Amino acid sequence: MHEIRLEKVTKRFGNGLVAVDKADLDVGRGEVMCLLGPSGCGKTTMLRMIAGLEWATSGDIMIGNRRVNDLPPRERNVAMAFQFYALYPSLSVGENLAYPLHAEKLSKAEITQRVARVSQALDLTSILERRPHQLGEGEKQRVAVGRSIIRDPTCFLFDEPLSRLDIQLRQTMRTQIKEILSTLDKPTVIVTHDQIEALTMADRIAVMQAGRIEQIASPDELFSMPTNLFVGGFIGTPQMNLLEATLTEVGQRDSAGSVTARFALLGEIISASVNSRVGDFEPGSKVTLGIRPRSFEFVDIGTTDALHADVDITEPMGAETLAHLIEKGSDLRCVVQSSIRLAPGNRVAIRCKPGQLHVFDSSGILVR
Amino acid sequence: MEKAREIRAIGQAGWGRTLGAGIISAVYFFPVFFIITTAFKTRPDALAMPIKFFFTPTFENFYSVFQRADIQGGGTTNSGFGLYFFNSLFIGGTSVFLALIIGTAAAYGFSRFPLRGNDTYLFIILTTRMLPPIIAIIPIFVLFRVFGLSGSYTGVIALYTAFNLPFSIWMAKSFFDDLDRDIEDAARMDGSSEWSVFRKICLPQVYGGLAATFVFAVILTWNEFLFALMLTGTETRTVPVAIARTIGGQVGVDWGLMSAIETLFIIPVVIVTFVLQNQLLRGVTFGTIRK
Amino acid sequence: MTSVANPDTATSRAASPSASRSAAGFLGWLMSPERRGPLLIAPALITLFVVNIFPLMWSFGLSFFAYKANRLAPPVFIGLRNYSDVLTDSDIWERFQHTATIVVGSVALQLVVGFLLALLFAQEFPLRRYLLMLVLSPMMLSLSAVGVFFRLFYDPTLGFISRFISLFTPDTFVILSTPARATIAIVVVDAWMWSPFVMLLVLAGLVSVPKYLYEAAEIDRAGWWRRFRTITFPYIRSLLLLALLFRTIEAFKIFDIVYLVTEGGPGSSTETVSVYVFRLAFQFFRTSQASALGYIMLFAVIVLTSLYLYAIQTREVEA
Repeated sequence: MHEIRLEKVTKRFGNGLVAVDKADLDVGRGEVMCLLGPSGCGKTTMLRMIAGLEWATSGDIMIGNRRVNDLPPRERNVAMAFQFYALYPSLSVGENLAYPLHAEKLSKAEITQRVARVSQALDLTSILERRPHQLGEGEKQRVAVGRSIIRDPTCFLFDEPLSRLDIQLRQTMRTQIKEILSTLDKPTVIVTHDQIEALTMADRIAVMQAGRIEQIASPDELFSMPTNLFVGGFIGTPQMNLLEATLTEVGQRDSAGSVTARFALLGEIISASVNSRVGDFEPGSKVTLGIRPRSFEFVDIGTTDALHADVDITEPMGAETLAHLIEKGSDLRCVVQSSIRLAPGNRVAIRCKPGQLHVFDSSGILVR
Repeated sequence: MEKAREIRAIGQAGWGRTLGAGIISAVYFFPVFFIITTAFKTRPDALAMPIKFFFTPTFENFYSVFQRADIQGGGTTNSGFGLYFFNSLFIGGTSVFLALIIGTAAAYGFSRFPLRGNDTYLFIILTTRMLPPIIAIIPIFVLFRVFGLSGSYTGVIALYTAFNLPFSIWMAKSFFDDLDRDIEDAARMDGSSEWSVFRKICLPQVYGGLAATFVFAVILTWNEFLFALMLTGTETRTVPVAIARTIGGQVGVDWGLMSAIETLFIIPVVIVTFVLQNQLLRGVTFGTIRK
Repeated sequence: MTSVANPDTATSRAASPSASRSAAGFLGWLMSPERRGPLLIAPALITLFVVNIFPLMWSFGLSFFAYKANRLAPPVFIGLRNYSDVLTDSDIWERFQHTATIVVGSVALQLVVGFLLALLFAQEFPLRRYLLMLVLSPMMLSLSAVGVFFRLFYDPTLGFISRFISLFTPDTFVILSTPARATIAIVVVDAWMWSPFVMLLVLAGLVSVPKYLYEAAEIDRAGWWRRFRTITFPYIRSLLLLALLFRTIEAFKIFDIVYLVTEGGPGSSTETVSVYVFRLAFQFFRTSQASALGYIMLFAVIVLTSLYLYAIQTREVEA
């Protein structure tokens, strides 16, 4: 019965700042939930409220079906790995790992055994005697994680676990942590601002902005069906192209629940097959079209129903190339195979691949 | 460096804590309280036992400080404490000022142009500050007599300058060490001369710290007793010596007067401590410790 | 008739090229990058040398001679006899003992009380700022005033401390009557003055502990004693050590208070080494012996200062 549930949780600070605004969240047993968002969106505050390091102003926080709002951290039996690791400077790695176990009144043998097990899983056996200031970033991070998993808590909470590691270490640790978490079968909440981390490690992601949860969904769903402009623009690198357009006409609904519509943007008219709800809009409505850089296909110049633009800069990225196109003052990001040679100044015609055009209404919500 | 003007705290406690702290603070403060209040008492009130908490205050002691001429043992001079206050100020101020100039230059040198012998020099400098004045007083006393410097301003100021140098150096060095070098490097790359870098970038940032150092050093020199005792004459005497001299010889010390003197003497220190709270720790450890 | 060209400048102008070249050369040599460090440090070192070190060296030399400052007789070389006299003089050892007692007593008291004070003032509470100022007030008094006034306070009839204690004793309590009492009296004054100093240091340590360490301990369900032992104490341990060394070095120097409150009495029971050296030099005029003794003290101070510097550097490394 270990789950985490937040119902309408709000956190208002003394100076009036609302860090978390009526958030609903639930994390199932064994599920890894990432809180993702830019700095200041409230994700860390939310994590700290689950831990008990911040009091919720209103709402309910449930851990394992128990309302824990009024319980201090020590009585919630949660495990947390801090962004700055929070390793006890005067203790060795082994003593740091064993620290949480003293509260459980285990025998010395049991403690040694657990420390050995964890240090082996995280490759810490050779540095058990060292002290935190003698460790590298990666080692410190593993100790912090180790200190969390050595216990049997109700849930795991990680605050930006990989933010201080270099790219290589990050990739290694991502996989390692994911493996470990899958064996532990407890709800886990990870806070991060790095979407790659979230997309690779999470079962579900809660995208947050300015204290509000914008969308909670699996990585796939977030990618293919972002609920609003913010999520669409936040998820996916390079960033999704968000273009202002006007709906000019809507065609008939077809059997698959789509409808053909025509949009005017960048001085041209394109048509595309979009969600049937677009049909509810009047011609002349202002919308925003979202097209991911990899959703473009090249067509011959002069094709109708295509956008024309000039190539501004190309950035080689290895197997792919990121091309910045420019038309009527608007920037278009387009990712192509490097085998297609594009040079600055070229004029190209592009079309959005079928089914990959997102339509957002004038208030930024996805139309579906 | 923190901008907070107060000594920081962690967490919050209630009025119960205030009560406990209040009692302890009262114990610590009581002697000081005694001195300050006695300054306002008349002569009989001052010595009353048990201590008189309620009395009619008077300013006569403060007048006496500057006017009474025969308070000193061997009262053949006309000088009252006005002269001694002036002496303390003049000697203290001048020597600290000189020490700061020489010391800041040296501190900058130690900080930015480290030499091989740096640690040794700094060690010697710190030892000079730490050694019991007794050790130095003997040769200096004799040398002063030999060179005819006893009782003169020059000798004492020179001595106090050297006295204040270690403190100035350590404080200034700690400030220079705390600075962000990147700005200086950027200026150097933009073509500034070393002198410009020092004057326009480093110095402005440490002005506050140097001001604090100046004040702390003056306070230390202000309160200095031993060297002043041995090396100042009747005309150049400083206040602490004058206070001590009132003990010996005279029948019935005028405690009201003494209190007034000390109260006047302590006022600058109190103001300074209040204003410089965030530098206090650095100051009392001579610049060797900073948060 | 005055000619336009000033003969003086004409001559100097003629001489200037080579003169200014060598002047510029010297200045250039002086101000070159390698010299900058030494150039800046030189005035300070010179001043210290002349005013401090030279006299010290002179008196070091003198300590090998027999010399009395009040006689005109020239110094007579006697080698190490001053030192051996000093080291075998039982009076000296007695003074060392007194000094040690006072130093140990005072520093211990300062550390304990200062530490407790810091704990008291660690959290914010109403009026904390002002009460803190009150506690710091003893440090602001001049030592001579402290000496003079505490002499009054300890006076059997006129001093409030004596009178206060007399409330609990059968007859008038004379604080300065016995060696034990006098020593305690001095220890109390010194500790009173300087325990706020220790408090400042420990307080600085207490507030510098990163909050997240306490949070981690809370999550790890550690009890208050455990938290103190593993988190708080290590942080303040280095500061306590610094306080210990610093105050010990300073306590060694105790002169003013002893001189003014007890004058080393009763008898010579509270006479510290500093006071004794003073007496040797200026009362008995055994100048060279005083120098020798001074050098022995200097040696102790050097050892202590080295320890102090070492402790500072260790602290900076671990931070």
